[in-house]
Amino acid sequence: MIRINDLEKIYKTEEVETIALNKLSFQVNDGEFVAVMGPSGCGKSTLLNILGLLDDPDSGSFLFNGIEVAHFNERKRADLRKKNIGFVFQSFNLIDELTVFENVELPLIYLGVKSDERKKRVEAMLDKMQIMHRRNHYPQQLSGGQQQRVAVARAVVNKPKLILADEPTGNLDSSNGNEVMELLTDLNEQGTTIIMVTHSEHDARYSHRIIRMLDGQTVTENILA
Amino acid sequence: MLKNYFKIAFRNLWRHRVFSFINILGLTVGMTACFLIFLYVHFELSYDSFHSKANRIYRVVCDIKTPTEVIKAGGPSWAVGPHITQDFPQVEAAVRTTDDELLVRKGNVKFQELNSLWADSAFFGMFDFKLLKGNPKTVLQEPLSIVFSESAAKKYFGNADPVGQTVLLTGEGFTAKITGVMKDIPENSTVKADMLVSMSTLTRKLNPGLDDQWGNYGNSTYVLLKPGTRPGDLQAQLPAFLERRNGTEMKKINMYPTLFLEPLKDVYLRSTRNGNSTGNINNVYIFSWVAVFILLIACFNFVNLTTARSAERAKEVGIRKVVGAVKGQLTGQFIGESVLLCAISFILTLVSTALLLPSFNHLAGKTISTGIFENLNFVLILFLAAIGIGLLAGVYPALVLSSFKPVTVLKGRFSTGTKGQLLRKALVIAQFTISIALIIATIIVYNQMNYMRRQDLGFNKDQMMVINTNGDPAKDAFRNAVAGLPNIKGVAMASSVPGGGNPAAYSEIENVKGVLQIANLDLYFVDFDYIPQFKIKMIAGRAFSPDFQTDTTQSMILNEAAVKMFGYTSPAQAVGHRFKQWGREGRIIGVMKDFHFRSLQLPIKPLSMRIEPNGCNLVAIKLSTQNLPKTIAAIENKWNALIPARPFSYYFLDEFFDKQYRTEERFGKLFLNFSVLAIIISCLGLLGLASYSTMQRTREIGIRKVLGASVPNIVNLLSREFLKLVAIAILIASPVAWFAMHGWLQDFAYRIEIGWWIFLIAGLIAVLIALATVSFQAIKAAIANPVKSLRVE
Repeated sequence: MIRINDLEKIYKTEEVETIALNKLSFQVNDGEFVAVMGPSGCGKSTLLNILGLLDDPDSGSFLFNGIEVAHFNERKRADLRKKNIGFVFQSFNLIDELTVFENVELPLIYLGVKSDERKKRVEAMLDKMQIMHRRNHYPQQLSGGQQQRVAVARAVVNKPKLILADEPTGNLDSSNGNEVMELLTDLNEQGTTIIMVTHSEHDARYSHRIIRMLDGQTVTENILA
Repeated sequence: MLKNYFKIAFRNLWRHRVFSFINILGLTVGMTACFLIFLYVHFELSYDSFHSKANRIYRVVCDIKTPTEVIKAGGPSWAVGPHITQDFPQVEAAVRTTDDELLVRKGNVKFQELNSLWADSAFFGMFDFKLLKGNPKTVLQEPLSIVFSESAAKKYFGNADPVGQTVLLTGEGFTAKITGVMKDIPENSTVKADMLVSMSTLTRKLNPGLDDQWGNYGNSTYVLLKPGTRPGDLQAQLPAFLERRNGTEMKKINMYPTLFLEPLKDVYLRSTRNGNSTGNINNVYIFSWVAVFILLIACFNFVNLTTARSAERAKEVGIRKVVGAVKGQLTGQFIGESVLLCAISFILTLVSTALLLPSFNHLAGKTISTGIFENLNFVLILFLAAIGIGLLAGVYPALVLSSFKPVTVLKGRFSTGTKGQLLRKALVIAQFTISIALIIATIIVYNQMNYMRRQDLGFNKDQMMVINTNGDPAKDAFRNAVAGLPNIKGVAMASSVPGGGNPAAYSEIENVKGVLQIANLDLYFVDFDYIPQFKIKMIAGRAFSPDFQTDTTQSMILNEAAVKMFGYTSPAQAVGHRFKQWGREGRIIGVMKDFHFRSLQLPIKPLSMRIEPNGCNLVAIKLSTQNLPKTIAAIENKWNALIPARPFSYYFLDEFFDKQYRTEERFGKLFLNFSVLAIIISCLGLLGLASYSTMQRTREIGIRKVLGASVPNIVNLLSREFLKLVAIAILIASPVAWFAMHGWLQDFAYRIEIGWWIFLIAGLIAVLIALATVSFQAIKAAIANPVKSLRVE
């Protein structure tokens, strides 16, 4: 599904040049659950942004389903993204002004799904995540675990092929964290490819494979399953 | 998707109530001011344009060149109207009008009709004044015909049909038949009348031969050109027309008129020949600019507050982009929000305009508009303008917000501190530049008003009551009766008082070279008491005196300006020289000090005075301050006893003279109001920005306090950056305002100097207002407990 080759990303400020990704190469297959680990500043997040088509690399190749997307313009990337990729963040990133239902509905709106179809799909998803009773609440009214479940619901409501999770349990206590990891595992078992950045060895054990990064490069790969 | 946008827009407005309030209030105030100005400007521009033939109607005006001066007359001689239609086939019709103050009587109902007009019979064919009763072609044809306005008809006849009835025109000594009733002439017409009397009454009965008087002026003449006629072509043929018709006489009297055609639609705003009761195109421009500026200030607020708040919206932008929104969609969303805000302001603007309109009409001194729905197009224009403002003000913030990179904003590495700060500063400077310039302008306008009111006019106008006898035969008896009353300090009679009109006479005055020089000289007919009672100073020769028999017929007094015009280097030099004027001749017996007999906008013109009891219709009564109501009642008693046919009415000279400044006074008041509005809107914006920037610096303030900063330190820190902006604004505004107001003052012959203190005061006002606005927020932040603010992070 994903094949990157010699990917490079350099951040420049007036004084310093930071190499975030240094000729990084690896590959993720359909249906895989991959954890990316490494110390702060090793380039994990940059990698995730590029994989999520939120950012573009300075050089190198990025094949998404066999298509070279490294130099897609914003519109094309947005299009590819909304059809194929779901995101889960550490800080949930729900829109405070929208209700649970409306937050989950958002990706479908941008996909141009009709209103009654949207309703059906959102409700099914909320049911599945067991937060249907909270559908008219605002994010601030929910616990962290509930918020992250809403975020996951939002990430998967449009049935993406790939979920990118950025420390999804970072802001949660362990029981809520485990619940979220179970959710992701379920999704993976149903065929969704997952790439997850994490600091937690515990969470990483849910994955099939761990890629360890340092200074913008992969250092080791552990196959778990 | 739209629903989603609206939902989020509304929720956002509600969640950030203070910002929404400031934004909506600012926009509403700005749009209300603009809407009112728009109504005013539209009204001013609408003058005389309601006539369907307005584009073909021209007013014939006239420059008369004498050996001494060029007189700018508002109309040609009486003969021009009737002859121009004969000589030029392209002139479809000509109408002469002249205003009068007729005494009209119907049984016991009598009024001095201050707004009566003599008019040629083509009047209703040329103008679109609606005739409710009567035939437009014939109502003004026959002598002794009179057309009443609806309200005049009501006044005299109640609900009865006036057509065919008669009224007595007492002063003129004839009975006129009412031939028609017209709708009241609208406010936005330069031709104004409550009743029209047929011109043929004058030309055939009262003053036969008027139609052929080429040297007699004092009417307005309008011509209607045939379609396709170029006014320039006609105007080019007019000198030959005058030469052909009147060449010999022109040479004889040495006065050469030149005729010009003024488009009717330009008469009100652009003509300089209307006297006091006219509009001013400059005021229209000035107010239009003020409207634009106020609107700009309101829009800047919007841009400032929205971009300042962008950090709060950044997360939403990031999320929306992550889940699939493209930039265009987000831009649309944010513009939609600003349009929504403007739509709310639009509704509030309608409400506030409706509430303010009565006071605005009062302030403007006329009914600009009877209601906001009087013209639905205006509401539509306002709505479109509101949407336009929403788009315009929304575009920049929308572009800024929608271009946020999700990567940065979602990772919390996002800082709005510096983003757009320069722009915000520039906009605040612009807002305050406009506000300060308006403050300066207001101070200057008010100063000039004050100056004009306080200036020594060269005569005494206090406690002077003026009554117009309109030439009643009993006027001298009345004068004598009043003189005998208690608490009367003096009574004088004259043709004119300062601030009113006066005749101008074809005169020949012996100049310094000993030659009789022709001039059109302003003239006051007075009596022996006039000069002492008005405390006009004599600076050479003597005043009129009953001791000299010749004074009633052969003596003239000039003012300094006249003496100068005829070349004398000192007033004394002029005394004893000859004059000829309107059938009289004699000697100049004295020179009076210049006094302001016209408004201070105008320079003091050369003036002559002569004794002429027949010409003296005004009675000027100097009253003692004691027992004023009783004295006035006593005067009224005498009037009713001696001149019962005329209604008793009077005015006080000081108020009468100040009326000349009414236009300026209104201008000043309007200006003051709009400046205040501009400042309020600017301050709203500043308040928003200040509260925002303090909010952003909460942590910094906390750290500073922990490190030992005092409350004044903090307030100083927070206020300083805004005061710097205001200071820059003062520097920009001062020269701009100086330049603009210097130009404005050129309209006044007697004007103030623009002193440096004006800029100082305006600057101080701005600084104080800004400081008050900002320090409120700053103090609040400074006295907060630092422990709390540090926990924020």
